[in-house]
Amino acid sequence: MVSRAAAAIRTRPRREREQEVLVWPDLVFIEFISALIFSIALMVLSAMVNAPLLNRADPDTTPNPSKAPWYFLNLQELLLHMEPAWAGVIVPTIALVLLAAIPYWDRDTEGQGVWFGTKFAGRLTVFGFTAATLITSLLIIWDGSLHVVWTENIIRGLGLNSDFSWPGGLDWFRNLRGFDTGIPWESLGFTIGGFTMFEDWRAIPLGIPGTTTDPWLLNLNFPSFLSQQIIPVATMVGLPIAFVLFCKMLGWIQTRRDIALLIFSAFIGVYLTTTIVGTAFRGQGQDLKPPWDIVVLEE
Amino acid sequence: MANLERAPRKSFNDLIYDLIFKNYVWQSIFRTGYPNTPRNQMLAVATNVFLHLHPTRIHRTHVKITHTYCLGGLSFFMFLGLTVTGVLLMFYYVPSIERAYQDIQELEANVRFGQLLRNMHRWMAHAMIILVLLHMMRVFYTGAYKPPREFNWVVGVVLFILTLLLSFTGYLLPWDQLAFWAITVGTTMVGSAPVLGDESKFLLLGGFSVGPNALIRFYTLHVIGLPLVISIFMAVHFWRVRRDGGLARPL
Ligand code: HEM
Repeated sequence: MVSRAAAAIRTRPRREREQEVLVWPDLVFIEFISALIFSIALMVLSAMVNAPLLNRADPDTTPNPSKAPWYFLNLQELLLHMEPAWAGVIVPTIALVLLAAIPYWDRDTEGQGVWFGTKFAGRLTVFGFTAATLITSLLIIWDGSLHVVWTENIIRGLGLNSDFSWPGGLDWFRNLRGFDTGIPWESLGFTIGGFTMFEDWRAIPLGIPGTTTDPWLLNLNFPSFLSQQIIPVATMVGLPIAFVLFCKMLGWIQTRRDIALLIFSAFIGVYLTTTIVGTAFRGQGQDLKPPWDIVVLEE
Repeated sequence: MANLERAPRKSFNDLIYDLIFKNYVWQSIFRTGYPNTPRNQMLAVATNVFLHLHPTRIHRTHVKITHTYCLGGLSFFMFLGLTVTGVLLMFYYVPSIERAYQDIQELEANVRFGQLLRNMHRWMAHAMIILVLLHMMRVFYTGAYKPPREFNWVVGVVLFILTLLLSFTGYLLPWDQLAFWAITVGTTMVGSAPVLGDESKFLLLGGFSVGPNALIRFYTLHVIGLPLVISIFMAVHFWRVRRDGGLARPL
């Protein structure tokens, strides 16, 4: 058996001494200059912009909106669209584990050490990033019911119907919670062999009474489960798969590296979009608002 | 016949050079003269504990700015700058809820360059997060995580998490409304974990909500716990860059 260490050395490129330069001065010089530029830039920034300091902490006055530091606002944004356990803990954990696992899955040593090393890398990157950014924005708009507001405004504005409002039959499409509140779950029971499935969708008996005290395990609130867990998770799993299939169809994907490029770029798109929306487009009550309309109230 | 040629007169510059670099004290500190010959240049890198993080020679593609954009190095530079400004901030700051906020106010108003110091620390922390993310992207898009660098990529992911945690723990320390509520929101997210959520939140805060215990925990993690851990991971990270044969290059 070949040891890992030996295998690792075998995967190394041949050393080209004639192509090498001395670290002093070539590299040390660049490092020095870049450190200098950053020092000056940060010094200037710090001389011009002060770090924020609000009033002394007061547990009795809650700012509205209350926000986590900006680098966690992508997670706080997710929180608005799914069960908190998914948004705050499970999704980021899975994302980090998958991120760390990339090299153990994409092991081909081909194409390393150069930017965008495969034939379609550029297209995959641009497509993954743009499509993910667009779709994420659309999903956020939809869950913020902006399409409802916009449709109403347009129809009223055109004078077609001056007191038009979103039709009740489409209540389920208002936003994600529409699948919970906009569907007449009470009348959706059906009967199989004398059993009614289910008399109450909001309390589907799961556990055998007496075996558990956890109310969630005893009775499943299906409509809420659907809108807060099934649909969000299916979206987060389904869209990446759809992305890969689509690019496969176009013939852009030839290796695992291509899949990694596509998904990583899409991930960056989602990461950025959710961070920006969470930072600049969430006002009181975490409503979607343009940045210039956002004020923070103390309540 | 006597040699009529005299040794060339030393120029003024040479005199200065000898004065600075060829005296007993200088040579006790740096074994080499000023690194102006290839031999001295390699010796300078190899015999200096700080420069010795580098190899003495590297492939020419890796000194092109567009290969790394210096992002890893700059992340490290931010860490160093944060350590220096952080130590200075510690002179003025006491992590108790009675004093924390007031200390920051007094730092800004009464300490010479105090506001500048605080600003530098704050903006460098933000810059570090952005630089680390960009560094990760550069490593990804140059395919530099591939074998034999798998493990160093994992070390990198840990460094990214530690960077976020360092920033998060520092966020509470000014004890203003921004700090208090951001940490309240953040730790509530931790509390929603399906297993051990409430327990981790309690452990982090030293209680059920953000208070004096949370402040002292965040402070201790921020000024000693996490910096120690991240230093260890950085040491491993840099060591592995060297061990894995320098930066990635096409086969
Ligand atoms: C505190 C954070 C970090 C510091 C200070 C740091 C520092 C560095 C430095 C100085 C290098 C040398 C080359 C360069 O500058 O690009 C490097 C290379 C590398 N870093 Fe990081 N890094 C950090 C975080 C990360 C992260 C988040 C990842 C990935 C998830 C990562 C993965 C790598 C890999 C795989 C290499 C080898 C690159 C190659 O061979 O071309 N590092 N790092």
